[in-house]
Amino acid sequence: MNRRTVLTTLLAGASAPLLAACSSGITSLKGDGVGGDSGSSSGGLTIGTANFTENQILGYLYAGVLNAAGVKTTVKPNLGSREIVVPALRSGDIDLLPEYQGSLLLYLDKKATETEAGAMQNALATVLPNGLEVLPYAAAEDRDTFAVTRETADHYGLKTLADLRKVNGKLVFGAAAEMKKRVVGLVGLKEQYGVEFKEFKALDSSGPLVKGALKKGDIDVANVFTTDVDTAENGWVLLQDPKHLIPAQHIVPLIAARKADSKVRKALARLGNTLTTAHLTELNRLVDKEKQDPDRVAAAWLKKQKLD
Amino acid sequence: MTIEWGWFPDHADEMARLTADHLATAVPAVLLGLLIALPLAVLAHRVRPLRGFVLGASNILYTIPSLAFFVLLLPVTGLTRTTAIVGLTAYTLVVLVRNTVEGLDAVPAKAREASQAMGTRPLRTLLTVELPLALPVIMAGVRVATVMSISLVSVASYIGYGGLGQLFTDGFQRNYPTPVIAGVALTLLLALVADALLVTVQWLCTPWRRGTTSRQRTFKWRKAA
Amino acid sequence: MLELLKNLAAWLTSPAQWSGPEGIATRVLEHLEYSLLATLAAAVIALPVGLLIGHTGRGAFLAVNLSSFGRALPTVGLVTLVFLAGGLSVWPVYVSLVALAVPVIITNTYAGMAAVDPEVKDAAKGVGLRGRQVLWQVELPLALPLIMTGVRLATVQVVATATIAAYVSFGGLGRYVFDGLAQRDLVQVLGGAVLVAVLAVAADLALGGLTQLLFRGRPAAAR
Repeated sequence: MNRRTVLTTLLAGASAPLLAACSSGITSLKGDGVGGDSGSSSGGLTIGTANFTENQILGYLYAGVLNAAGVKTTVKPNLGSREIVVPALRSGDIDLLPEYQGSLLLYLDKKATETEAGAMQNALATVLPNGLEVLPYAAAEDRDTFAVTRETADHYGLKTLADLRKVNGKLVFGAAAEMKKRVVGLVGLKEQYGVEFKEFKALDSSGPLVKGALKKGDIDVANVFTTDVDTAENGWVLLQDPKHLIPAQHIVPLIAARKADSKVRKALARLGNTLTTAHLTELNRLVDKEKQDPDRVAAAWLKKQKLD
Repeated sequence: MTIEWGWFPDHADEMARLTADHLATAVPAVLLGLLIALPLAVLAHRVRPLRGFVLGASNILYTIPSLAFFVLLLPVTGLTRTTAIVGLTAYTLVVLVRNTVEGLDAVPAKAREASQAMGTRPLRTLLTVELPLALPVIMAGVRVATVMSISLVSVASYIGYGGLGQLFTDGFQRNYPTPVIAGVALTLLLALVADALLVTVQWLCTPWRRGTTSRQRTFKWRKAA
Repeated sequence: MLELLKNLAAWLTSPAQWSGPEGIATRVLEHLEYSLLATLAAAVIALPVGLLIGHTGRGAFLAVNLSSFGRALPTVGLVTLVFLAGGLSVWPVYVSLVALAVPVIITNTYAGMAAVDPEVKDAAKGVGLRGRQVLWQVELPLALPLIMTGVRLATVQVVATATIAAYVSFGGLGRYVFDGLAQRDLVQVLGGAVLVAVLAVAADLALGGLTQLLFRGRPAAAR
């Protein structure tokens, strides 16, 4: 084998995958507006999900009902936190995202005061940037809560978030880093309840780090989601929220308006009407505790509910 | 910590898909790196003052944490595979530039002079004499860059394009070691296969080096230098 | 772009940013702590192994290919695995950083030992030096420059990778990268990245200077 032949073959062979990559993966360098071709080129819908299992389950549920309605979907799971994923929606890299009313509203408008589901839906419609839309919300809800261990609750007599004021400067609070600046987080706790912590530890929200830290005693208060099954398992106390700092958080599809045709709307509405918080909690349990895959769990549930 | 052996056959499809996805990010990064590194290295090799700048800049680039790189690229290239590829290319570039410059440096001046004495134009000398002689060192760089690229793809799982790295985030979130073990094993396997493939390519491309051992060659170079 | 750089300059120079338990000073010290301890531990493990392989010549295949293996090992995967095995502790950080550094040091130590001219070793034996004496008095001093290169390379890699500590809730400069990402604060992310790069380059230069100091007057062997 002559050296020149080998080199030429190599060059030819190398350029092929490069060209393939260029045509498929490398989209325009613009970050906004003109829309990436990652999903929309085929007329299908790209569903993105954030970096926690519940959101992935929801993404697959969306995909399931949409597929059943004849809409082609691609699911891109585990793309990152809301701060990464929502901008991706705006730029067209994804088309649909399962979101949570309250957190989404406060992410878009820090000064929003609505806490009731219907009012929030209207507020969202107003503050959403052009091109994005929220479809009707589901029955299911998953709120942020602040949890303490049974021992801590008994020791300090903690039942509600207001009680935390009694122990200002004594407790360590753990949550995802973004909670430091969110109103549904450190900022709001201070403003509404006058609560101050000894320390804020950036971990994750309702993830392995924060739950591990709570169990170990590295933190005293943890940001946990209401559909998380570890709460019941560990006997954690979810502090009540009389002042409604934490708004209602029904699941709501956040979608690029141009993709929201009647087929899509109908399919997602059917899902929203059927999915309850109890269902979602059970699906979470299957994925997190029984270690079943989110896509299979979603498909099985849809089959049972005759939504597939 | 226990492995659930049943997970593997059950998820064969997913493992194949993630491996393909992994390669779809790693391979273009190396190729793109090579595409940029070769001319850049030739320039650095030829133009004295540029050399220090290019090598210094690439040293600094190498020290930027990969995750930060990906995140900083997000506003520019969006939440797409491009971001992961461009980020990885920066790292492969560093290795490839370094090795190509080193390889060109190691070409005996006599070889280049002989070629010029025969009347060959500089570009032709570069392509037919210098680069082929530098090939072993360049290929060593390609090997290192490829293995590094395959390993670093998993970091991009933080922005959703981690290939086999998605198994790490999954296992992490659900307290589930099996997918993580699968991910680590497959990444290592992938790197091993890629490395072996490249060694074969190098062997095919350098017929004049067959018949000497690596120790003999190292010693000969040192004596010559 | 210019705006971002301006904000970055402001972030890096504001005194408030430097002080306090989450200030830059604290984070840099934490980062150095992880990096230096890990590199030291790696050296303690890797140097004897590399010297042994270089001296006896046995296991050369391992030494040469170990760095490939080490390079291929995904740090994120290893950190996750140790975390799942041992829970929330600092072990995932140290295990993965040491695993990163050990192959580099072994390979370079072996390379240094292998580059020692066999004729010199022969001469030493001819003069009457026995095995271990050859190792300590002849091979090691001659191999030292390449060994130091290995330690330098390892240190730089470890400093650049110690950002992983923040992934499992610990401190260090990685905190700025992860938190900045979560809070969509690009200035913080950039700041963290810049600081890591500066720290890594500084470590490299420091070790380079140390090498020069140790090998002043030595011929071309020292880099």
